[in-house]
Amino acid sequence: MTLQTDLVGLLGPERVLSSDLDRFLYGKDAGVYRGEVTVVALPETTDEVQEIVRIAARHDVPVIPRGAGTGLAGGAVPLGGGVIVATTRMNQIFEIDAANRCAWVGPGVINLDLSRAAAPYGLHFAPDPSSQSACTIGGNVANNSGGPHCLAEGSTVNHVLGLEVVLADGEVLVTGGKAPDPVGLDLRGIIVGSEGTLGIVTKALVRLTPNPPDVRTLLITFDSVEDAAATVSGIIAAGLVPAALEMMDQRMTEAVENWLHAGLPTDAAAILLAEVTGDTPAVEAEADVIRQVARGHRAREIRVARDEAERTLLWKGRKSAFGAVAQAAPDYYLHDTVVPRTKLVETMREVYEIGERYGLTMMNVFHAGDGNLHPLMMFDASEPGALDRVHAAADELVELCVRNGGVLSGEHGIGKEKRDLMHLMFTPVDLDAQARLKEVFDPDGRFNPEKILPAGSRCFDFGRPVPEGAWI
Amino acid sequence: MSIADAFASFPRAPGELAAVVPPTELVLAPGDVEETAAILETASDLRARVLVWGGGTHQGIGHRVEPDVVISTAALDRIVAWEPDDLTLVVEGGVTVAAVEAMLAERGQTAALPEWGGPATVGGVVAAAISGYRRHRYGPTRDRLLEATIVTGDGRVVRGGGRVVKNVTGYDIPRLVAGSFGSLGVIVSVCFKLWPLAERRATVTVDDAERALQTLFRPVAVLETRDGVSVYLAGTEAEVQSEAERVDGVATEGFAWPDPPQGETVWSLRVPPALVSEGIGRLPADWVFVAEHGVGHLRCAGRFDAAAVAELRGWAEEAGGALVLEHAEDQSVYERLDPWGTPPSGMALQRRLMAAFDPAHILAPGRLPGGR
Ligand SMILES: Cc1cc2nc3c(=O)[nH]c(=O)nc-3n(C[C@H](O)[C@H](O)[C@H](O)COP(=O)(O)OP(=O)(O)OC[C@H]3O[C@@H](n4cnc5c(N)ncnc54)[C@H](O)[C@@H]3O)c2cc1C
Repeated sequence: MTLQTDLVGLLGPERVLSSDLDRFLYGKDAGVYRGEVTVVALPETTDEVQEIVRIAARHDVPVIPRGAGTGLAGGAVPLGGGVIVATTRMNQIFEIDAANRCAWVGPGVINLDLSRAAAPYGLHFAPDPSSQSACTIGGNVANNSGGPHCLAEGSTVNHVLGLEVVLADGEVLVTGGKAPDPVGLDLRGIIVGSEGTLGIVTKALVRLTPNPPDVRTLLITFDSVEDAAATVSGIIAAGLVPAALEMMDQRMTEAVENWLHAGLPTDAAAILLAEVTGDTPAVEAEADVIRQVARGHRAREIRVARDEAERTLLWKGRKSAFGAVAQAAPDYYLHDTVVPRTKLVETMREVYEIGERYGLTMMNVFHAGDGNLHPLMMFDASEPGALDRVHAAADELVELCVRNGGVLSGEHGIGKEKRDLMHLMFTPVDLDAQARLKEVFDPDGRFNPEKILPAGSRCFDFGRPVPEGAWI
Repeated sequence: MSIADAFASFPRAPGELAAVVPPTELVLAPGDVEETAAILETASDLRARVLVWGGGTHQGIGHRVEPDVVISTAALDRIVAWEPDDLTLVVEGGVTVAAVEAMLAERGQTAALPEWGGPATVGGVVAAAISGYRRHRYGPTRDRLLEATIVTGDGRVVRGGGRVVKNVTGYDIPRLVAGSFGSLGVIVSVCFKLWPLAERRATVTVDDAERALQTLFRPVAVLETRDGVSVYLAGTEAEVQSEAERVDGVATEGFAWPDPPQGETVWSLRVPPALVSEGIGRLPADWVFVAEHGVGHLRCAGRFDAAAVAELRGWAEEAGGALVLEHAEDQSVYERLDPWGTPPSGMALQRRLMAAFDPAHILAPGRLPGGR
């Protein structure tokens, strides 16, 4: 029996895709890498996922979990062929438990659909990636995704209470639940953010967050990027953690305005979108702090969204930024790194310098309050050598951020993109420990091979063999 | 060579360690990462069982371990880096909760560590995944843990995470370490995300915990004890005042935290948040407790009654929770029941994970669920 016939036997012909077109479509995520797909399977149940994993093991081919394919680090891109397990059809919301403020959902549920379903209970799913109308909860869990409102609420990992996962041996692991602090090692935390390399998430119990009673959204305009960045650092230093604190530079604002006409000031060097949530007295007091800090850094104009319609438009502008860019250049490369918030000003300056040095237009729209940078480089892939230049500039960007006390990625993940930069942050011993962890879950390297860890990570050995029977 | 001889060259812990006395004479107190690594390497070679010791305040949790060596983190007590303007703090594992919070308070910040923590060390709090009362607002301790450096059972120095508030670089080893009870390694340093302390803090006595939770947007805590229900509010002057009015309570300035419950046995009851009130009703009538509404955690204490405990545990586990023994004056209680209750699924995986960090199986062997 071939792999194909085994899968068709399990799922029927409509849920096994292998035409050239399908294999082409599933060969890529939203990043720049393309891989080779053997076949795509579309399970609907946990049992089917278990069976797919067993079939893949029998045929000794890799398994690559995939949600909506909006990932940017090549996480869902198969690097050596294999079965793509696309969770699109596992999109059921099993339970919304308003009393316990949580929901059991299938991995294929679209992020925004969950918040919509929770709205009647006055609740929402806090992580709000800009891609939220397309990306899946499974993808959010696998990438530990963030979003503008993760500044105060934390990334996906802070919102995962329990998981059902199909492991490499085809067994199902259920970890966590509605009660706090499950006993034993906390496996949730290690599976969240593991980018499909440890198992396939087949159900998630996620926390739902109450909708705030009141909100103020401020649009603050600056004549220099540095003043805007200094305002962000200043707000945090003033002891305020707003619900969101986002920054856009002039090129980005122009691109968004051209596309959306959201009323953003295109003549400003940078704008900040700040949001505070809570009870009315609190949001008013906090908005005042933000105003004061901004004025201290020469803010040119501070506008408060008058109503929900204006607020929605501002956020639409922010969250459509990448869509807007797509209109403006043939190709772009979106980066994701983090620096301490005290280092924003100098880092931003150097980001533009790198762009100039490589002759690349650098645009910025990012989660400034977290220190989470998203420099975006415009290029034309049909121009010979352009992508190489982009990659070289990207590597330099990461090095810059790590030098400034930061990390490789704040939310998009390591995937294939930054795998070979892991040594910038971790020693060989650190990487070896991570590789051992991967080995514990997936001894044959079946799940999403060649992601996160660079080749040769599992090389460190203290040279002291463990005697027989030491571990029982 | 005896085990004591093998460790003769390492620094011993000076005299009195804490209120609770470690269960062995051989107590070493490494002064830095290298010394910690050397001790663990030696211990792995000798298959000497190691118990890591912070403030000794949470050693009552889990199966009993009879160590050959105790590693005290008392000498790992440095503040490594505090970035007030970035709201992050890196400290060594042996720094006490009291020291951390006193220092942070000077600049109006907090790590939201347990309010009763005092002599507990940050390493111990992380290892036991203990969260304070302010969890309802600031999340559990593990959500604020950004980076951890541990020395594994075989003496490897492993760092995971990073010193920024948002990070997805590599597997989240810090989260695995949180709640590992010293079974993966000695926590030599950690980085926490901090929170600003609010300008005004108040404790408000109310009648109805559920109503307070429904009325208020994220109170810091809603706690219930045998004395009644208190709501803890933090924010600006105007905010705190308006919230206190909305729950019709009597407000007093500052946070008046309840003392942790004490008794012959102390337990951590974990249930879905909506079941807290029912949980209170199910406690033996003579037990004392602090119940965290909206969180699903009750710490409770009292006389040991095997039948009552079995019934309470049965109910909690049925609801997807647990009843975990945190302390027993009479050590035989640990023999009479499993301190953790029913082990979780995936025990084989858990054991393999421990082996990946501690191949010789010397770190707190058997302490975690399924250990006996
Ligand atoms: C325009 C745009 C804006 C974006 N904005 C943000 C943002 O603001 N914040 C942010 O964090 N990200 C953002 N992203 C990145 C991306 O949307 C997120 O990483 C998202 O969570 C990916 O979800 P997905 O369903 O598309 O996953 P995919 O891209 O399909 O997969 C992502 C990774 O998850 C794994 N995976 C998927 N499902 C499962 C499962 N069930 N079990 C195990 N592993 C699984 C895959 O193997 C892969 O490694 C953006 C992307 C785009 C294109």
